[in-house]
Amino acid sequence: MEYILDVQNIHSFIGQYHILQGVNVRVPKGSITALLGRNGAGKTTTLKSILGLTPPREGKVIYEGKEVQGMRSFDIASMGIGFVPEHRAIFRDLTVEENLKIAERSKGEYIRKKEFIFDLFPDLKRLITLPGTSLSGGQQQMLAIARALVADNHLLLIDEPSEGLAPVIIEHMMKAIQLLSKDSTIVLVEQNFLVASQLAEYYVIIEEGRSVQEGSMKDLANDKAAIHRYLGAA
Amino acid sequence: MNSFLRKNTVLLITLADITALFIAAAQGMEKKDFVITLLRGLAVGSITFLVASGFSLIFGLLDVLNLAHGTLFMIGAYIGWTVFVRPDTFVDLLTPLALILSGFALRDVYPLLATRIRLGLSMKRILPWALILVSILIFSYILPRYPISFWDIGTYGQSPVTYSFLADQGTRLPAQVALFTEISAPLALIGLLFASIIGAFGISLFNIETQQQFKLNWKNFIGFAILLIVALFVFIFNESLTTALTGLGSNWLFLIAVVVATLSGAGLGALIESTLIRPLYIRPIYQLMLTLGMSAIGIEIVRAIWGRPEFVMPKPAFFNGSSEVCPAANFADWWAHNCSTILLLDGRVRVYNEIFIPIIGVVVLISIWMLLQRTRLGMVIRAGVQDREMVEALGINVRRVFTMVFSLGVGLAALGGILAAPSMGLSNAMGESLFLNALIALAIGGLTNYPGAALGSVLVGLIQQFIIKYGQIGIAIPFTDIIFKPTPPIVPASTVLLMVIILLILPNGLLGKKE
Amino acid sequence: MTQQPNSRMSAFFLTNRAALFTLLALILLPFIVGLMDGESPMLVFANQSGNSKFAQGLAIEIFILALYALSFDLIFGITGMLSFGHSMFFGVGAYLTGISLKTLGLSLPATLGLVFIAAIVQAVLFGLVLPRVKGITFALVTLGLGSVFHIVVMSSEMGPYTGADVGLQGVIAPAFISPANERLRFYFIALTILILVYLLYKRFVDSPTGRVCIAIRENEGRARMLGYNTFYFKLAALTLSSLTAALAGFMHAIYQPIVSPNVASMGFTVTALLIILIGGVGTLNGALIGAVVYRLLDFGLRRYIGESASFISGTVYVLFVLFIPFGIVGTWKTKSFQVKQGWDRLRKLFG
Repeated sequence: MEYILDVQNIHSFIGQYHILQGVNVRVPKGSITALLGRNGAGKTTTLKSILGLTPPREGKVIYEGKEVQGMRSFDIASMGIGFVPEHRAIFRDLTVEENLKIAERSKGEYIRKKEFIFDLFPDLKRLITLPGTSLSGGQQQMLAIARALVADNHLLLIDEPSEGLAPVIIEHMMKAIQLLSKDSTIVLVEQNFLVASQLAEYYVIIEEGRSVQEGSMKDLANDKAAIHRYLGAA
Repeated sequence: MNSFLRKNTVLLITLADITALFIAAAQGMEKKDFVITLLRGLAVGSITFLVASGFSLIFGLLDVLNLAHGTLFMIGAYIGWTVFVRPDTFVDLLTPLALILSGFALRDVYPLLATRIRLGLSMKRILPWALILVSILIFSYILPRYPISFWDIGTYGQSPVTYSFLADQGTRLPAQVALFTEISAPLALIGLLFASIIGAFGISLFNIETQQQFKLNWKNFIGFAILLIVALFVFIFNESLTTALTGLGSNWLFLIAVVVATLSGAGLGALIESTLIRPLYIRPIYQLMLTLGMSAIGIEIVRAIWGRPEFVMPKPAFFNGSSEVCPAANFADWWAHNCSTILLLDGRVRVYNEIFIPIIGVVVLISIWMLLQRTRLGMVIRAGVQDREMVEALGINVRRVFTMVFSLGVGLAALGGILAAPSMGLSNAMGESLFLNALIALAIGGLTNYPGAALGSVLVGLIQQFIIKYGQIGIAIPFTDIIFKPTPPIVPASTVLLMVIILLILPNGLLGKKE
Repeated sequence: MTQQPNSRMSAFFLTNRAALFTLLALILLPFIVGLMDGESPMLVFANQSGNSKFAQGLAIEIFILALYALSFDLIFGITGMLSFGHSMFFGVGAYLTGISLKTLGLSLPATLGLVFIAAIVQAVLFGLVLPRVKGITFALVTLGLGSVFHIVVMSSEMGPYTGADVGLQGVIAPAFISPANERLRFYFIALTILILVYLLYKRFVDSPTGRVCIAIRENEGRARMLGYNTFYFKLAALTLSSLTAALAGFMHAIYQPIVSPNVASMGFTVTALLIILIGGVGTLNGALIGAVVYRLLDFGLRRYIGESASFISGTVYVLFVLFIPFGIVGTWKTKSFQVKQGWDRLRKLFG
């Protein structure tokens, strides 16, 4: 199998705390891979370590065949990685349009992608002149995903897209993510096992800073013991 | 509209109170006094704003409290003064400066060079230091011997005070031609170039990241070539340039002084950020110590070069006319005679201090506002103020934006310095008092809020000037015969008190957003 | 059975040998300096003027400065509140002592009591602004309060009491601790106070209250979420700090012939900040070491370089920041392991 992203045994620290203590994640090209685990297990830190926002002190991050650990974050991101962070991180002082424009890596990207983005999230089109603050949670999430789509990204790192959203909106979001996976590879961090199991083909379970189990999502759905043990869900 | 009222109740009430106070202040004053005081307040506010806005941009994006900002303001004034009063010194300085910078223009070449050189580990550690040491040695050999026409702070007749006084009287001491006597000219030029390249190479060896890709950038060579050409050109045509500059007349010279001071402030800012501040982003508290140290160093350097006594900077002729028709009756009249004062409601208003400076303040306010709102750089700055990490995750080189913003901020402070110089005069302490003003203004307006910086600065300027005015005419306390005259110490105290009160009501300042 | 306390004692001596050596050196300092100058200890006891007396004077200044820096480290280094009005704490102590002794004619204990009451009152005053402002805004509000105090002290209306911009002169210290005639006694009293306060601070930082203060520095929201009312802990730290700084001011007013208004200025707060940045923020003993380095550097530079001393000191601070990244104590803690390894390697090299 061809892997677009191969994270090998990374160790990361936040301050003096040893958060990641050996995480391995392999992401097959074109797939949706879910990172599962309890709160505070290190899923978000794994995403940030891939992007170099929390640079790993040990281990390798190989993206499209190139070692990227130790590179500067914006250089890594410019290689074609889109990031949708936890809590969305919409820029409050920018309008919706500016929030999208800022993600351009070359001139005119936003104009070219506009159609596609507004087809995906029709809601955003009428909000375009509003400031980022005035959006609802669901709209913010759409904007955050849309922002990752402006540039030509081959890999999307999406952190907790369903967090705090109403079921109807989650549904909408899931459809969008599924549609996106046709063109790009997606790494998904998700607390909601139901959402993750419907979206993802592969999974990696992270427990106390280590990756403990990986495989195909179908197998995990039948492995009640693992679900109970690592995710605390029935 | 309703929700706007509800959200900003406290702000509106505060503003209404302040307006009411000003209206009350206007009652006890003659109309012309009121106008003059108002304009003076706006002028002080404008200068404060130039310092405060730069400081707030830097603090907002970089989280660096640049306590050296006041000192940089002062340095801007002194540099501008040098260009204005001593163009010969300025021309002499251009060549060595361009040569010193030329090595750094080639910054992308060195990493490539470094990857070619295979060295042992211990050599790799020593090499940068050795290179820098050699470069410093060469510099310290050549620079003291390089001829630059200069003033002498030791002898009164040659001191900046005298030069200023004479320039103010309209006479200039004849430009002195500095000659190469202690060192031969080609040796000095080539030596400086060589030392600059070696030094830049040494410094670049410190921050080579292992995984970075290096591409040769042709812009580097173009920059290098331009610097070399400038250096040679100025060197060859030194004398004719000096005569040309001296003959230009004070208006053009003042314009050049403003541009040079602003640009050197911006350059200094970029240099400080990229060498000193950058290693400290992970240790924020120590930035305070660094900027405090820089502030002390800056003041001492100014004292060493320009001396301790205060001196004035002459106003450009455009604002300094004094024919018998002055003071001008109206603006058309002023335009015809360039009077230094103008009559406004029967009050004499100084054109430069009380009209020109506020106008520049407004121009800068609007241009920076446009920069922030209309350009991509501004968009990145606004986004970065809120969430740097996310901006970086979008693939934007935030560090380069940091350098630009720091350089912009310091450039604004330097611009404030040179603009304030003709009205405030130059002194070693001019930075400190203005910096305190700027801090208070920012606290009042909201620390990282750009319109807040403007509002706060204007409030600080107005309140100070009004209290000074009342110190002269006194306030009649109602229902009594007592006339209360605020004493000078109350001027700083009043703004400080206003700041404390506003911060206690609105912890984020008048326009600051809630966390 | 008799072995155990003995070994505990020796363990105590072993772990604290550096501190105990320093203490011993400080006790002997006046006599050693005297001997080097050819004075017998008897002469030192008699407070003969000479190098010993001069060294004592410098040391007393350092003790006072260290006390002041300790108090700043408690609120900034330990509790994480950046106050730019700290010099007010010191200034209130110094000025109140002067006014009380000179104008009011109170006795020394009464003065000390008055100073302590004032210290508590002003800590409460600072505490009043605590719930409203945090972080950099707290710094600015305290800066404001501090500068208002400075302005009041400097104003001509207060001249008869504070001496305005000339400073408070003519405070006559009681004879038994007169800095001129009984300096050795003053030296030991100051040393004792410094040691006691330092031990008290150490105890405070290790106490549950102190632990919460550190938690507040790390993350106030979390400390609050754990159920601590952070306001009271900050107020406690402020009060202790204010008392200490006022005590330092009290000693300063008695020791110095003149209380300059500079001790109430923003610059004096910066001094405290520099001292603990030199020594190491939040380390307590860093404040002591920083005070020594700062005062000696200042003294040496002013003596041998003169006017442009602040150029050198500014350069030293910048170099400090760049090359001794966490202050002397902080950097020592992170590097001590490497240094030890280096020594071991050296030792092996020479067999």
